[in-house]
Amino acid sequence: MRKLFTTLAVLFAATFFVSNSYAEDVIKIGVQAPITGSYANEGQGIDKAVRLLVEQKNAEGGLLGKKIKVYTCDDEGTAQAAAICGRELVNKGVIAVIGSYTSTCAQAAQEIYYKAGVLQTSDGTADALTKNSYWTFFRNSNPNSAEAVYTSDWMINKKKYDRIAVITDYSTFAQGLGNAVVEEVKKLGGNIIYTGKIKANSQNYTPILTKIKSMNPDVIYFSGYYSDGGLLRAQQKQLGIEADFIGGDANDNPDFVKLAGSAAEGAYIINVPTPELLPYDVAKEFLADYKEKYNEMPPSIWTVLNADGLRAIMHAIEETKSTDTKTIANYLVEMEPYPGLSGPLAWDEDGERVGSSYLTYRINENGNYDVVSK
Amino acid sequence: MDIFFQQIINGLTIGSLYALIALGYTMVYGILKLINFAHGDLVALSAFVGMTVFAKILGGEASLFSVIALFLITMAVIAVAGVALDKSAYKPLRNAPRLSAVVSALGAGLVIQNGIMLTWGPNVNFFPGNLVPNIVWNIGGTVVTFIQMLILVLSLILMIALYLFINRTKMGTAIRASAIDKDASRLMGINVDRVISLVFIIGSALGAVGGIFIGMYYRGITFEMGWQYGLYAFVAAIMGGIGNIPGAMLGGILLGLFNALIAGYVSSTWTDAFTFLLLILIIIFRPTGILGEKVAEKV
Repeated sequence: MRKLFTTLAVLFAATFFVSNSYAEDVIKIGVQAPITGSYANEGQGIDKAVRLLVEQKNAEGGLLGKKIKVYTCDDEGTAQAAAICGRELVNKGVIAVIGSYTSTCAQAAQEIYYKAGVLQTSDGTADALTKNSYWTFFRNSNPNSAEAVYTSDWMINKKKYDRIAVITDYSTFAQGLGNAVVEEVKKLGGNIIYTGKIKANSQNYTPILTKIKSMNPDVIYFSGYYSDGGLLRAQQKQLGIEADFIGGDANDNPDFVKLAGSAAEGAYIINVPTPELLPYDVAKEFLADYKEKYNEMPPSIWTVLNADGLRAIMHAIEETKSTDTKTIANYLVEMEPYPGLSGPLAWDEDGERVGSSYLTYRINENGNYDVVSK
Repeated sequence: MDIFFQQIINGLTIGSLYALIALGYTMVYGILKLINFAHGDLVALSAFVGMTVFAKILGGEASLFSVIALFLITMAVIAVAGVALDKSAYKPLRNAPRLSAVVSALGAGLVIQNGIMLTWGPNVNFFPGNLVPNIVWNIGGTVVTFIQMLILVLSLILMIALYLFINRTKMGTAIRASAIDKDASRLMGINVDRVISLVFIIGSALGAVGGIFIGMYYRGITFEMGWQYGLYAFVAAIMGGIGNIPGAMLGGILLGLFNALIAGYVSSTWTDAFTFLLLILIIIFRPTGILGEKVAEKV
């Protein structure tokens, strides 16, 4: 009997010791994403991408000789569930959390991670996410204001446009983007010759375009939506205005080409890249692996951006040889740009992504997109 | 200077569209003293019907025959729809207070609009782009396209034909007589109900031409576009003197030109504001519209 007790006790202790030492041997990474609910598609994409990268890393021998273990929490795309996920993942002892998909959910859990000293990286684009300057937070996408910076840099420094006409519509989004572009262009010393608004869906834009024609522009920039952008481009060509045409991200839709018809050729569109169009080798490799494992493409660019968040954290752990979150965070804000799937990755002290992942597409004669500038 | 002529061409093109649509408003008003607010939605419907007729019935192959057939079939379908609109939404309310008929018109417009949405979907649809040759003339910097010329010429022919029909034929005389006094016309042996149906047929068919032109010119058509064209055509009809056929034509053309010149020389942001300011000024200083007084008998 005594022997049995001893054996049991030894076994128990051994199990305890083993499981304990096992715990010491893993690096825990959390995924907070909408696995169910309206954005389930996106949330599952993020989870799948993280699990794929972790599996690959573990096959290589893990990080610092330790295996990585993933804990997924479903935030359902709601703020309440996101706050619960925050607590749950902190209690599990994760050192970093990937996600969430929506700005709302990322923000709802942000403070919990900050107080627990857990790193968080999210694709939320709301400018507010980095306003608290939490040292734990890193945005892996670009905030809404970044598009204007990229656009004006491309227009002034790359294309050297001298006479720029800007058209917006009355929507908050288009006006915000349009005004930001005007501001940035002026900062770079660019020459805005015209700014005007069109009423969305009013179809007849020949009067405003005729006026722009008389000003002899190099480029017409339109910050509104594809349904008007396609018509603007068609009517621009019809009026024989030779200027280039650049559409903001809301012009990135197949209907733009249908509306513009043959005039679509040569129009430029600026947006974050769709996964298929990422020009980087690492991205192509990642997408091929993803396709092979899950038999589908990632649902959107947001999956790729979250994958980049994880890759940067893993890179930082390897470089610093540490799993201390403060050390990793310090490294992330100081590191040289790291080649991400979505372009170079680097952060400022607020956790804002530096540089941008925007691309410029040119529509070719078949109505397809060619990447012309990174 | 080429910007001025270009704006004139722009204005004339869109103005002809407004004029074609305004004729439907003004004719119905002339007879029934009813603002047919569903007319703009009939115009939108015609663009969708035209698109479907071309793709499904005419096989989607562009030729002179198929384009003419597209116009005729669509005009016929929309004429029937116009008469059906009258019979279902307006005829039961002939003796009701005028406000009831206006409310009924707004309701009918919503029914048509939502019907289009349920049938063809809420997204932008695409009118075939290969119906007419893609010819562009450049006259000293002013650009005119084939489709613009087609819109201008065909609208002009239709308007002249309508004018002759109203003033030179027996049916036209009956329409004019009914517009002046329905009861007296009835006593003279005019079948006023048939005259009303005829007015709806002509007005809807002209609106259908406008709708097809909108599709051909702009390609993208949406279920809610009728409201905007209807509103502008309505303004054109009021400007010209509602109930007055030459007035509607003149009002449409002037409105198109006014819009183009405001957008070109003042600001495209203020186009609508100036348009409605003009409307208010006309109503204050010339309540019968530009041609309202000249023609005693209003049709």
